[in-house]
Amino acid sequence: MRSGFRGLAGILALLVATTATSLAADPAKVLRIAFPVAETGFDPVRVSDLYSATVIEAIFDPLYTYDFLARPAKIVPNTADGMPEVSDGGRSYLIHLKHGILFSPDPAFGGKPRELSAEDYVYTFKRFADPANRSPWAFLINDRFVGLDEQVEQAKKTGKFDYDAAIPGIVALDRYTLRLTLKRPDYLLPYTLAHSAFGAMAREVVEKYGNDLQAHPVGTGPYLLKEWRRAARIVLEANPGYRKRIWDFQPGDDPWDRQVVAEMKGKTIPQIGRIVISIIEEGQSRWLAFSRKELDLLALPATFRAEALDRSNRLKPALAKDGVKLYRAIDPSVSYAFFNFRDPVVGGFSKEKIALRRAVIMGYDLPEEIRVVDKGQAVQAQMPIPYGVVGFDPAYRSINQYDPVLANELLDYYGYKKGADGYRTLPDGKPLVLQMATGTAAADRERDELWLKSMNAIGIRMVFNQGKFADQLKAAKACHLMMWDAAWTADYPDGDDFLQLLYGPNTGQSNNGCYQSKAYDAMYEQSRLLSIDSVDRQHLYLDMTRQMEVDGAWVLQTSPERNELIRPWVLGYKKHPILNADFVYLDVEAHK
Amino acid sequence: MGAYILRRLWQMIPTMLGVVLLVFFLFNWVGGDPAYVLAGKISNQEQIDNIRRQLGIDQPYYVQLGIFVKQILTANFGASWSTNEKVSHILLTRLGPSLTVLVPLLILSTLISIALALAVAYVRGSLTDRLVMIVCTIGLSVSILVYIIVFQYVFAYKLGWFPVQGWGDGFWHNLAVYASLPILISLVVSIAPDLRLYRTFMLDEINQDYVRTGRAKGVSENRIMWVHVLRNASIPIITNLMSSLPGLLLGSFLIERFFSIPGIGREVILAVERSDFPVIKAITVYVAFATILTNLLADLTYKAVDPRVQLK
Repeated sequence: MRSGFRGLAGILALLVATTATSLAADPAKVLRIAFPVAETGFDPVRVSDLYSATVIEAIFDPLYTYDFLARPAKIVPNTADGMPEVSDGGRSYLIHLKHGILFSPDPAFGGKPRELSAEDYVYTFKRFADPANRSPWAFLINDRFVGLDEQVEQAKKTGKFDYDAAIPGIVALDRYTLRLTLKRPDYLLPYTLAHSAFGAMAREVVEKYGNDLQAHPVGTGPYLLKEWRRAARIVLEANPGYRKRIWDFQPGDDPWDRQVVAEMKGKTIPQIGRIVISIIEEGQSRWLAFSRKELDLLALPATFRAEALDRSNRLKPALAKDGVKLYRAIDPSVSYAFFNFRDPVVGGFSKEKIALRRAVIMGYDLPEEIRVVDKGQAVQAQMPIPYGVVGFDPAYRSINQYDPVLANELLDYYGYKKGADGYRTLPDGKPLVLQMATGTAAADRERDELWLKSMNAIGIRMVFNQGKFADQLKAAKACHLMMWDAAWTADYPDGDDFLQLLYGPNTGQSNNGCYQSKAYDAMYEQSRLLSIDSVDRQHLYLDMTRQMEVDGAWVLQTSPERNELIRPWVLGYKKHPILNADFVYLDVEAHK
Repeated sequence: MGAYILRRLWQMIPTMLGVVLLVFFLFNWVGGDPAYVLAGKISNQEQIDNIRRQLGIDQPYYVQLGIFVKQILTANFGASWSTNEKVSHILLTRLGPSLTVLVPLLILSTLISIALALAVAYVRGSLTDRLVMIVCTIGLSVSILVYIIVFQYVFAYKLGWFPVQGWGDGFWHNLAVYASLPILISLVVSIAPDLRLYRTFMLDEINQDYVRTGRAKGVSENRIMWVHVLRNASIPIITNLMSSLPGLLLGSFLIERFFSIPGIGREVILAVERSDFPVIKAITVYVAFATILTNLLADLTYKAVDPRVQLK
């Protein structure tokens, strides 16, 4: 009886969904934007570049997504009907799906409407684990679900992943219910479920298009791929069968939010009928295209900051007169230079090694980096967790501030004596030479010069080893680089994504400094057992940050600031720290 | 003639072999391991090994080289490592936009350079000749990047005569709207060196006895210049022209990047940035092949233009 009722409800929901076409976005509304880097393709399992991910996010629907306005980013249901029911101490997640969600029409469905089901998510998760797909997102799913790793091992032996085999940890209990069972407590799973790559894929589509799947993204999301000229132009069209979804986000403390809410509240999502994306690699071309009103939004290229903004980072009068709006935001990203803890010169936990690293950190002229290298478009990172990410504490201050005098004193105290040439030696009298891995780009050279100048000021000789990124990464993973400048951008809006970079067992994977602190690792493991909103977890994040500072693990540098220029006819703009397809939540007014 | 062509084609084999070896070893020594990039932000050695296995770069060098040779013989370079797009599709779809810019450019540039070279050679030593040479020298000294930036700013942004960037669907639309400014810039850049070079060829001929004889016999100056001088100066011009033909396959990456033209030049740069070896391999091999073929074509054209040329 119950299942019959549910079936009837499903049919009704389908009817509602198919008649929801009248709610579709206005085809006359067009938003023109640019990507500075070419996309690679639209199979969510296979690609990890930001620009492909932006398109994927507009086409596919993960179970969860983020509140458009809330900061730090807050997870909200997407295709899931409510937040997951978590039980067994964080080991079991029960998720109900909304009814009547349809995939966009595709020949793979034989001309029939195809409703999203829990089985689609089961299939999608399996695709990430399939070794043949060599997914760059496999780390989000491996060693997590009961029974999945065994299937992966089997696939490695047979050369074929058995998609029909049941996996106890990923089960569709019925058409609209998904049960996920984890190997250990994990309160971060919702972040994976909200990740744009984990949007549901239909098995029929994957099997129909095979190797050409990158060109045939078929999802249940607000847009569908209308046109794709590779590395040149992408046109998205509002999905006419998209479920009814109303813009109803609450404003936060940011005064900008009130304007956004006034412009968007109560409107159907999406509002814009066509998104035209041009791949424009050169900053000048993007800037001129925006100035000529060929683009509606522009992430201001750093080289054109002076054209658009004054010294106080306010819009120049000509742009303001044109009605252009400026939105400044700090990216959920941090840059840092790591020390290799296995390196005989800078590694280890002895007092003189810690002193050396902290002197280097204090000797690095970070204010100069922000002023010259970043052209004032970055803020000092006080902790490894950036703004907009859970765990970020605006009141927190690093103990390692720029202080070359103190750095010199510290080195003197621990016996790093200066020789006749003005450069210091190790306490045992051997030469002290820092070796920094670096790239060949102009920005790398600028940064290298700053490093050299900073280290000369504290009497440390520094040399630079240029190499290709892939080679440097290979060496870093093998703990062979003494130092390397790196950056990390949030995959999910939780401090865990950044703090895992320092977790000992992640050496060889993401902990490229090979930092292995028992105290840090213990706190990290403890934090993984606590729920996302736990106060204790926040305290642990601060303690871990302090620990890595005391040990001198990283030369923590900056979080970049972005300047978005917005034409006056674009409504509701706000940059989300994790969501990339902001245009889903925007509107465009008629304009000339 | 037939024997000559066969011999030249036979000689292509060792040349191509040299190219193959060079590309293969350069990529393996300095190209970086793409598996580390493709593996994503967080990956372990097992995942990296899996990718290397799938790409075939875990195989011994001789096996990889064998696969490369087979790919050349079958003209099937597989799919791009980063986008999974078939390499043949990449070449076919990106070549069109590049040729839309470069073919008209080559034709216009050649015709204009030859005509101007004849004209200034005719008035050699005059103020006009010197002025043109000074302008050419200045033009040669300026980087193409400066031309692109200035022309895009002035003609596309300030004057609005052309779009700042973009590419459409139809050939004629692209040629008239999107390719015009890139062609104009490339013309300005290419005419200066060609004009100087061709002028030298013309001057060499103008000083020959047959010109003096023609004038003594009352042949018109137009006929002397456009028929006799041009014909005799055509061999080095053909050499120069033919050597630029393989460049059509490479596109013009700066022009394509600034004007967002989805051509082969941009694709080459993307492939290098992404360590996308299948694309790099295919383009290098085709360009090498085209170079050898155009050299052969140039030799055959010499014979057609000047019957005194002996093909040995």
